[in-house]
Amino acid sequence: MSASLKNMLAFFLALAVLGVSFSVQFKARQSPERELYQQRQENLIVMVKNLTEKRQRLGLEMSDLSSQLYDRRNALEDETLTIRSLEQQLARLEIANGARPVTGQGLEIQFQATSAVSYADLIILVNELYSAGAEAIAVGNYRLNGNSYIFYSDTPDGRVITVNNNPVALPLQVLAIGDASNLEKGLTLPGGFMDMMMYNRIFPTLRQKESLDLPAVQSPPLYYYLSAYQPPS
Amino acid sequence: MKTKTVAVIIITIACFMIGLLFTLHQSLTGSTGDSRNSALSERMDNLVSTITDLEQEIAAYEGLIEQYRNELATLDLVHQTAAIQAYQEELKTAQLRAGLTQVTGQGIEITLDDNYVGMRENPGGDPNHYIIHYDDILSVVTDLKSAGAEAIAINDQRMVGTTELRCVGNVILVNTTRLAPPFVIQAIGNVSILWDTVAYGRFSYLQQNNFPVAMTSGEDLVLPAYKGEMQFIHAQLN
Repeated sequence: MSASLKNMLAFFLALAVLGVSFSVQFKARQSPERELYQQRQENLIVMVKNLTEKRQRLGLEMSDLSSQLYDRRNALEDETLTIRSLEQQLARLEIANGARPVTGQGLEIQFQATSAVSYADLIILVNELYSAGAEAIAVGNYRLNGNSYIFYSDTPDGRVITVNNNPVALPLQVLAIGDASNLEKGLTLPGGFMDMMMYNRIFPTLRQKESLDLPAVQSPPLYYYLSAYQPPS
Repeated sequence: MKTKTVAVIIITIACFMIGLLFTLHQSLTGSTGDSRNSALSERMDNLVSTITDLEQEIAAYEGLIEQYRNELATLDLVHQTAAIQAYQEELKTAQLRAGLTQVTGQGIEITLDDNYVGMRENPGGDPNHYIIHYDDILSVVTDLKSAGAEAIAINDQRMVGTTELRCVGNVILVNTTRLAPPFVIQAIGNVSILWDTVAYGRFSYLQQNNFPVAMTSGEDLVLPAYKGEMQFIHAQLN
């Protein structure tokens, strides 16, 4: 073999090895696991707990849907059974949409009349409550649903907090239905919502309640721009 | 220079580069030989593997849930009596409101990404100043809702009534699903109202701080249906 050919072979070999190394390197950068390895162990433990809970709830959902399918298939010729199955599906969606009043155990959060609570604090509170497993929430007696929003409005008397565009005044009560103990734990985690409130010199009170009653949303959402997607056939 | 010498130099450089990349690779995956042997590293490995397994399992469950919901919708197409049809119509509307339907319409798409350039240019700086945090996304979502957004999705996770945005460490989760940047937020609604509201909110702050953010509008955005559970264990109808 000539010397230049040997030289060329060595060069190509080196390039090939470099190429493989770069691709391995690129893969390492892209790996979704890498992000996890950068987290603290306690954060990973929280993620495992949350994912396990989610899997359990998904399991329940699968079981419910599977029974609905079974009932509906067997009830195709039976109007009463079909209607019963449809009513059950509808009832669950009415809770999700806030279409009807609901009741259940939960947590009551009370802001005093002198609290300097802002709309941004309430957005964080609601988000934390959902993170802690809240199934239904009302702020200042306004039930929240997927289209609800908490914002503010500037009036001649100053800035007021609004819920679904309705002004709410202090003292303000936020009610959340869910596992009362979990909801409270969710707000009192070190560095969590209650710590943030204390830092801002706001001192809401938390009370676990055996039974809370939440109203329905005032009016269902109206869609002007959205429609169900029909895939091209 | 002799050809043999040239070949030796080339291979030496290649070996050096491989060594360098191997070391970098090890530090990126956070698993040096020593730490892998330690109990701490083993625990990390177990936790990461549990999380990835659970995520795969959850994705499979969500696939099945979507399939069951589609099958139920197909059953609704079977010819029925007037009474049943009335219930089915009501159910369809409720499903649309609950986010269980894939939807389309005019709207905007916002992309928020970490400021990699700033991070690279300031290697000694606090990385937290260059990454998108969950409250940035929450802020944009609040702007969108206040502007009348009728449906919102983040990286294909449809937002529903009980959707939470949270961070564990610096991992952002929506519907308990881990999301990675860039974060693409889609919203259906009046384009000009959505655009103006977002443009003057947190989006503007991120733009001014050199984050690679972008906003586009579209006439026919398609947002996915919510694939998760809708279980109410404590809340009961009155």
